[in-house]
Amino acid sequence: MWTTLAFALATAGAFLIVYFLVAQGIRERSDTWLTGETQVLAQVLADTPRDHLYQRMREIAELATHEVPDDRSARGERLNSVFFLATDSANQEAPLWVGSGPKEAFIAAIQEAKVVPGAPRSIRLEGLRQTFRVVVREQKGTTLYLGLSDGGASRVLQRLARRFFVVWVGMFLLGFVISYWSARGTLTRVERITETVARIGTEDLEERLPEPANSDEISRLASTFNRMLDRIQTSVNQLRTVTGSVAHDLKSPVTSIRGTLESALCETETERWRESVGEAIEHLDRLLLLLNTTLDLAEAEAGALQLDRAPVDLSVAVAQLVDLYQPAMSDREHKVTLDLEEHVFVDADSGLLYRMISNLLENEMTHLPTGCLIAVRLRSQDGSAELVVEDDGPGFPPEILPHAFERFVKGKHSPGHGLGLAFVNAVVQAHGGAVNLFARSEGGAVITVSLPVSVLQPS
Amino acid sequence: MRLLLVEDDVSIQQFLKRALFEAGYRVDTAGTAQAGEALALEGIHDGFIVDLGLPDFDGLELIARCRAQGSSAPVLILSARRSVDERVRGLEQGGDDYLTKPFALAELLARLRNLLRRSAPPPHEPTRLQAADLHLDLVRREVRRGDHLLQLTPQEFSLLEYLCRNEGRVVTRTMILDHVWRMRIDPATNVVDVHIYRLRNKVDPDTSRPLIHTIRGVGYVLKTA
Repeated sequence: MWTTLAFALATAGAFLIVYFLVAQGIRERSDTWLTGETQVLAQVLADTPRDHLYQRMREIAELATHEVPDDRSARGERLNSVFFLATDSANQEAPLWVGSGPKEAFIAAIQEAKVVPGAPRSIRLEGLRQTFRVVVREQKGTTLYLGLSDGGASRVLQRLARRFFVVWVGMFLLGFVISYWSARGTLTRVERITETVARIGTEDLEERLPEPANSDEISRLASTFNRMLDRIQTSVNQLRTVTGSVAHDLKSPVTSIRGTLESALCETETERWRESVGEAIEHLDRLLLLLNTTLDLAEAEAGALQLDRAPVDLSVAVAQLVDLYQPAMSDREHKVTLDLEEHVFVDADSGLLYRMISNLLENEMTHLPTGCLIAVRLRSQDGSAELVVEDDGPGFPPEILPHAFERFVKGKHSPGHGLGLAFVNAVVQAHGGAVNLFARSEGGAVITVSLPVSVLQPS
Repeated sequence: MRLLLVEDDVSIQQFLKRALFEAGYRVDTAGTAQAGEALALEGIHDGFIVDLGLPDFDGLELIARCRAQGSSAPVLILSARRSVDERVRGLEQGGDDYLTKPFALAELLARLRNLLRRSAPPPHEPTRLQAADLHLDLVRREVRRGDHLLQLTPQEFSLLEYLCRNEGRVVTRTMILDHVWRMRIDPATNVVDVHIYRLRNKVDPDTSRPLIHTIRGVGYVLKTA
């Protein structure tokens, strides 16, 4: 609407400018003609004897008018009437007059307008619509007046103005119609998108908006909405998976806790009673660990894990954790070797990083039979820190290998809840790294964790 | 010492009140933030325990208000929320320490002790430590039981030192990991237990006079039997 108005005003302004230029051009042309003709007539006046003067002037005046174009109106009248007046400055003789209409009126008008020699001027006559353009020239005591009516020029300009107006109205209407249609088209499409998105509630997250092939703003809006719906659907599905699996995994520990406490109720001996209650608390702690890990995992998969990053020396972290786990590992007769490059820093959430590494080590411990060799290596190359944990155990069962990082995937005989590697994967990915799992040709498994090296090294 | 406990869950309120009383504290309780604020402003408490999930307004708001009114007593925050953000915000808003639910009572009592001790002037750092018949030289990192010098690894010494500093009090595995190894991890395996067993083999070689005891479901304690 506003653009149409602005457009209309702009074109009107353009038309007005052109109109004035044309009017000015026409005026200049007629003025030039007037001035030129006056000179000619002055010459003739000087050359012609007085008695023949009137006839001569009439002839010339007639000739002059024929030179002006557009002389006839629709009714055949002469539009461009010319008048010629020559007066004696001393007013000794009667003025010479050539022209249509009463000369008194003309004379009166000239005197009123106080026309003087020089540039042409406009005069207005009583009772006549058209103005006359008059040029004055003085020569040897005689004053010459030559006038040309604006009739023809007016008609040209009027026609021009009419045509401009028609074209302007046409453009205005056209512009209005076009902008209305295109706006309505856009709004209709937006309205359709709004309706569809409002309809896609949590029951039917499958539906998507149609994405036409063109790449204008509305199509981009539609595809952005679709991507957002994809993400929402993924989150909702994950939520369903988590709540489903949490419910399932809670049942067993809760059952055993309940059972233990119930039997504690029947216990009369204090020491046995303490044992039962202590056991129940231990079950609860394990349950809490499962819950926390599941929550962290769900957060990480939804991309919502909050990281409190700082430069952490990965080398020191691995060494500390291996030191912590060493007695437990040697209890299971595992032999651990360390080959750590020093001062390898990563930008990481220290809590999550430590938990991730402890998960890796625990994974090794719980899945390997006694007497295995575990080699831990850390190298930094090309801006990436590579942590490798390699063992010579039985390796991953081949059917598990491609799914090892999914939740609750574990070998039939392995203890634990199957979240360890999923957690490692989630944390490493949240930090912009990657985890890989290989089977060794000589038997055993290799897990490699790569993380981007910290850009800023602490001083 | 007199404490104010602001907690809306009645069963938690009850067991905490009992536990704190047994530990030698006098406890006032409030079930809403408003009631808590009214009691806090009386200025008669040495420390506060504030739960964040209160019915009327947030525990953090309560702490901020009390601090604004000039209260400087230490605050221990209890919350079910685990995110790092919440922890940082809690400490920024005027809390002095943060404990996630569910928590081990031993840990709550240990943190409370720490907080309340900070208000008092810090003691002169000892170079020797004695617990039961153990004598620890903290400078040379040596320990004797009676006259017998024990051969401990540096880690084992640190672990024994921590147990001795908390003589008579139960410490949880989480607390041990936090103070001795300076890590906050949730091990699914018995890593800490193995360290304790190895230490115990050296400290209590004969089982007639054990010093290190296991409290099922809680943790460990060092004391004469």
